[in-house]
Amino acid sequence: MPEATASQSNLYSAAPNPTLNGGHCRACGYVFFPPQNYGCESCGAPPEKLEPKSLKGEGVLSSFATVNLHLGKGIEPPFTVGVIVLDDGPAIRAVLTHKTDQGLKIGDRMRAVVVAGADDDRGAPANELRFARQETAR
Amino acid sequence: MKKRLREMRPVYVVGIGLHRYQRMSETPYVTLGLTAVREALSDANIEWPSVESAYTGTALLGMAASRPMLRYLGATGIPMAQVENASASGSTAVRQACLDVASGIADVSIAVGVDKPGPVAMAPAKTNIRDLAGRYIVPFTHFALLANEYMNRYGATAEQVAAVAVKNNRNGANNPYAQRQKAVSLEEVLAGPQISGSLTRLQCCPVGEGAAAAIVASDDAIEKLRIDRSRAVRVIASVSRSERVYTGAKNFDAELTRDTVAQAYEQAQISPSELDVVELHDAFTIEELLYVEAMGLCGEGEGARMIASGAADIGGRCAISASGGLLAMGHPIGPTGAGQVVEITRQLRGEAGVRQQPNARIGLAHMVGVGAVCVVHVLQKAP
Repeated sequence: MPEATASQSNLYSAAPNPTLNGGHCRACGYVFFPPQNYGCESCGAPPEKLEPKSLKGEGVLSSFATVNLHLGKGIEPPFTVGVIVLDDGPAIRAVLTHKTDQGLKIGDRMRAVVVAGADDDRGAPANELRFARQETAR
Repeated sequence: MKKRLREMRPVYVVGIGLHRYQRMSETPYVTLGLTAVREALSDANIEWPSVESAYTGTALLGMAASRPMLRYLGATGIPMAQVENASASGSTAVRQACLDVASGIADVSIAVGVDKPGPVAMAPAKTNIRDLAGRYIVPFTHFALLANEYMNRYGATAEQVAAVAVKNNRNGANNPYAQRQKAVSLEEVLAGPQISGSLTRLQCCPVGEGAAAAIVASDDAIEKLRIDRSRAVRVIASVSRSERVYTGAKNFDAELTRDTVAQAYEQAQISPSELDVVELHDAFTIEELLYVEAMGLCGEGEGARMIASGAADIGGRCAISASGGLLAMGHPIGPTGAGQVVEITRQLRGEAGVRQQPNARIGLAHMVGVGAVCVVHVLQKAP
């Protein structure tokens, strides 16, 4: 479970529809997110075999939780996080645009949106990629 | 040729000791650790110079914790080292002690888990891999997500998940070493405060300070030191695993436990139905349901029903978290896994008092740690 710093700058491409910057192993076909260039977790292939792969920012909500207690700097509860199984394969975890889980259902179609998010590690405002229920996005 | 623990020299737990798990205090870790070690020595009725190697399970204290503590038992010059394996640090210390005895490197070895809460540097944060929501998802939220998925998949209710805390706090209320020693009603558990998702405060384990010690010994040592063989509990499996890549949207935590426990059953030559007592990583209520299923103590999706039926109570088919578990006894990190072995040993000796599971013969201790890792031991009553 990588403990991320605030900057998400290398994690997604914003326009026109946000896509996630994932990775792909040319040796075994494993598709992964977040991106890394250390080696393939699935087959052990070296970095030379890894290549970037753009993942469509759409998928299905497989679980969610509204967080009421959080001690991290610059993050105000409540907020809601979810697991989204991307149409392109990997299951990822993201903050949802929904402050609480009201009306959310497992199985909802979700899409990535860029929002003005919480402050980063240094207290500077930063954009964040979040997920919204598809019919309410935009 | 590769050998499993069972095929090496027999290893027995011969001495157990604890310092109560409690909220952080001014007590130095040295006092916590020495209290547990001295209790274990006295329990085994042996002296410190008989101990030939020492492993300290600790995740939060920092570098070089062992000798600044153990020297005050008389500096005998024995090998000692710290074992850090996240929440499974104490379990891994027990495993190292067992391996020393099983291999013949030592006749008597001690595992001591000790910790105090404090700021800790997390290596995963230094991998330079960023994630979308890493800053937002702390362990209780990780498990809140798993709880949400579980309830949806099996139609379990928040009340059924919360019932785990009622059972484990009832057990903890009878454990003088537990951090939380107060029985709670389902209403009290559900009353909150809400922490994350369906998880309320009492569905999350307290992280405090404490210590636990287990002395393991060979047949030779039992003979030579005139240790009471009838109170010696044999370690019949020791398995340590780490997470693989599980394809599909499987629950990685459950899969890792399933893998590890399956190997432990094979090594111990038992089936899950033979388990009388289990101490598992119930840091959050939902985990107990996930793991009793992964351990094969009930079918998939039947965990909530198993708890409701009383089968996991003391006096039931298999007592789960008779100590109070992490939820009530507490989770001081380094001590926790060693403390599970202490509880299982007490149960298999028939010395658990009001918490005694009747006729307990075989017990299993299970911890997982961030990373993720899983460590399992199976213990058997002396014949």
